[in-house]
Amino acid sequence: MAAEELPSEFDVVILGTGLAESVVAAAFSRVGQRVLHLDRRSYYAANWASFTFNSLLTWIQQHHEEPQPEELHDWSSLLEEGEELIYLSNTDSTSVRNLQVFCFTSEEGEEAEAQSPDAPNTTEEVSAGDAVKETSETESADSKYEETNQKPEEEEEEEQASQTEGEEPEADQPTPTAAQSQSEPTKKKISYAQLVKEGRRFNIDLVSKLLYSRGSLVDLLIKSNVSRYAEFKNVTRILTYRHGQVEQVPCSRADVFASRQLSVVEKRKLMRYLTSCVEETEEQRAYNGRPYLEFLCDQQLGNNLQHFLLHSIAMVTEDTPTEEGLASTRHFLRCLGRYGNTPFLFPVYGLGEIPQCFCRMCAVFGGIYCLRHSVTCLLVEKETNRCKAVIDSRGQRISCSHFVVEDGFVGADRKRLATPTRFLSRAVLITDGSILPSNSDQQVSMITVPPVAAGCPTVKMVELCPSTMTCMPGTHLVHLTCQSVGSAFEDLSPVVTRMFRTPQSHDQEKNPSVLWCLYFNMADGSEVKGHDLPSNVFVTFGPDGALSHEHAVSQAELIFKKILPEEDFCPPAPNPEDIIYDGENTSTGGEEEQSLQTEE
Amino acid sequence: MAIRELKVCLLGDTGVGKSSIVCRFVQDHFDHHISPTIGASFLTKTVPSGNELHKFLIWDTAGQERFHSLAPMYYRGSAAAVIVYDITKLDSFQTLKRWVKELKEHGPEDIVVAIAGNKNDLGDIREVPMKEAKEFADSIAAIFIETSARNAVNVEELFQKISKQIPPLENPEVESNDSFKLTRQPAPSYRRCC
Ligand SMILES: Cc1cc2nc3c(=O)[nH]c(=O)nc-3n(C[C@H](O)[C@H](O)[C@H](O)COP(=O)(O)OP(=O)(O)OC[C@H]3O[C@@H](n4cnc5c(N)ncnc54)[C@H](O)[C@@H]3O)c2cc1C
Ligand SMILES: Nc1nc2c(ncn2[C@@H]2O[C@H](COP(=O)(O)OP(=O)(O)O)[C@@H](O)[C@H]2O)c(=O)[nH]1
Ligand SMILES: [Mg+2]
Repeated sequence: MAAEELPSEFDVVILGTGLAESVVAAAFSRVGQRVLHLDRRSYYAANWASFTFNSLLTWIQQHHEEPQPEELHDWSSLLEEGEELIYLSNTDSTSVRNLQVFCFTSEEGEEAEAQSPDAPNTTEEVSAGDAVKETSETESADSKYEETNQKPEEEEEEEQASQTEGEEPEADQPTPTAAQSQSEPTKKKISYAQLVKEGRRFNIDLVSKLLYSRGSLVDLLIKSNVSRYAEFKNVTRILTYRHGQVEQVPCSRADVFASRQLSVVEKRKLMRYLTSCVEETEEQRAYNGRPYLEFLCDQQLGNNLQHFLLHSIAMVTEDTPTEEGLASTRHFLRCLGRYGNTPFLFPVYGLGEIPQCFCRMCAVFGGIYCLRHSVTCLLVEKETNRCKAVIDSRGQRISCSHFVVEDGFVGADRKRLATPTRFLSRAVLITDGSILPSNSDQQVSMITVPPVAAGCPTVKMVELCPSTMTCMPGTHLVHLTCQSVGSAFEDLSPVVTRMFRTPQSHDQEKNPSVLWCLYFNMADGSEVKGHDLPSNVFVTFGPDGALSHEHAVSQAELIFKKILPEEDFCPPAPNPEDIIYDGENTSTGGEEEQSLQTEE
Repeated sequence: MAIRELKVCLLGDTGVGKSSIVCRFVQDHFDHHISPTIGASFLTKTVPSGNELHKFLIWDTAGQERFHSLAPMYYRGSAAAVIVYDITKLDSFQTLKRWVKELKEHGPEDIVVAIAGNKNDLGDIREVPMKEAKEFADSIAAIFIETSARNAVNVEELFQKISKQIPPLENPEVESNDSFKLTRQPAPSYRRCC
């Protein structure tokens, strides 16, 4: 099919389909601006994307390939009098790094225990440190399955292991199957082949966040009517990890009273504390600037409550100042009960849906979408230092009044690099059960994990069940996130080993097994950097480490307000059913509103 | 009678008449200059089917098909997909296979697929023989019909055929029912202040 030409004139050209860019696109299109929205990738949502299992494997592989040497086409022939070119970067290889993949389940569905009681099942311990060394970046791409041909040095050893066990060998870890099948002979583990076969049932997010029920993203979704394109589930429980145990954090009144972990005195104290902290008091102000932990200590709440309040409700660290701790506690409390028992929502099919919903809104109002299509350079009018046009990857000149671009596409020469880039550490696990089994097997859990040792980061963990449409039946999908100290593996594998069953963990019979996992680092988008770019070029930053989406939404609103200070930001889209004849002559708009409420 | 909501999405190259088919079906109207946007992006029509009422929630592409950039969210939860080609444009029939592949990749597994050869009022400049199209549809177990949005030919029938193929309602699953849309007014509040 002949590639159709793009129109050559727009008000706003946007490169990158992450959340901030997509909200910007919807906002402009909605008020009548002509928007061209491009992404060089073949999928939506950039570093906010979610992938089926198989497309995640492709993504992993892409991040292992050497970035193609940039072939700089000289577009100076397209320059007009008084113009100059600014080239954009055409590889975004810097935002994701340190990918490591581990598969702890057998490749095929066969019963491994039948054949391998004497397999070379070394009991030798391999420390996490060794594992890091042995899984260098090149070899961790699960090369066996993806045929990247990048055979690591230990190739022979690995192949041997895989022959005997049919396992994905990883840095000569003791092979797990035999031991596990002995302890649990009845339960058949889901094999790698099954994960691949059912791969489309997974929607694995690159970011792990939640929506606060009264946060700015929920407000924006509702205000703009973009909410009609997505469905949500409540996060059903808040958990925390303490003394080697996963415990449920009581957060609603009912939870507090039903809690079996809390004594009657604690229940009373907790209720009193939560009621009192809603209002700001003199006493609280006296602690401004001092750690929230100190304030909590002085409330004589006891260790249990202090832990819950600090780590799971305020979700702050021990040195967070009191005013900040109280502010997040209040936000948490305000968000309770709007839709469910916890403050949080999660989109069905994963977070990657949200940018797509905003893109659809943009398209409905005339925005033009083109994936696998990029901008190679900007045409700048020297005198005014304004970007007049862009040149796309096909060499077409497209004029625009404003250009919005994701940070990853801005060339290094344009960045005023002050500090080295900060990273987030991420892990994604496919497990065979919930971290805290309960009478319902369809729980969506937010788990806070305080530092496992001094100097370790606080880890946020989200466990998703199959009914969120993010993983296949019989599995759970677990996302771990923290600010990186070392590589994602170094930061997060100690937590994984403790809380789940892997070949490295010991005496964790009752914990769910990890079938497959991925570690990677992603640039922290909260680190806003300066750029030397024309005044009508706006840069957006990728996902940050916070649980909420405030950062992306506020970036988008800021850009919109700078360009169109008079216009409304994402006003409600008319409900088509309000204006258009419906088969039964009734406007179903109202009915829709009613029927869409959460059924509790 | 119980009303069942069925999401239907439209696929096919730009210009084959997707929006026109929706417009004909829902509003019994044909307009040569249909606005590609708001109007057709989400329309509904309810039709009886057996002892149920089927309320079709019809999603149009909003133009995102033009550069093959439909988002996977477009296919989510669809009960049926109508893939449209233009019988006067061989190209549009040839890309049908790509749309089928795209649907297999991103659409729900049990989706009902219908192939509609549109503009059959222009038989004198036909480029796609009906037989060939029918054979292709059979090979992927899809419904096949030739339509004319312009002359209101077979548009109702297209949706009737889809209705018939929709499997009867299974036991409403408890689990799949507890997802919800966000609405302006908060859910009935049983506010638990603690
Ligand atoms: C109706 C339709 C038409 C499409 N047309 C194109 C298109 O013209 N160009 C395009 O890049 N993507 C096109 N796509 C998108 C394409 O199908 C894939 O979604 C995308 O290219 C990624 O493909 P893949 O990695 O799954 O590889 P595959 O779909 O297996 O394709 C392999 C490679 O061949 C290229 N390719 C396949 N078919 C064509 C074609 N007809 N013309 C040119 N290149 C082709 C793809 O870009 C890809 O790099 C089209 C999609 C649909 C639904
Ligand atoms: N002759 C004829 N023209 C049609 C028919 N359906 C649509 N068209 C015309 O084809 C063009 C594209 O239609 P449209 O519905 O916008 O296609 P879409 O891009 O697939 O949504 C318009 O000019 C329509 O008037 C039809 O059945 N017969
Ligand atoms: Mg259309």
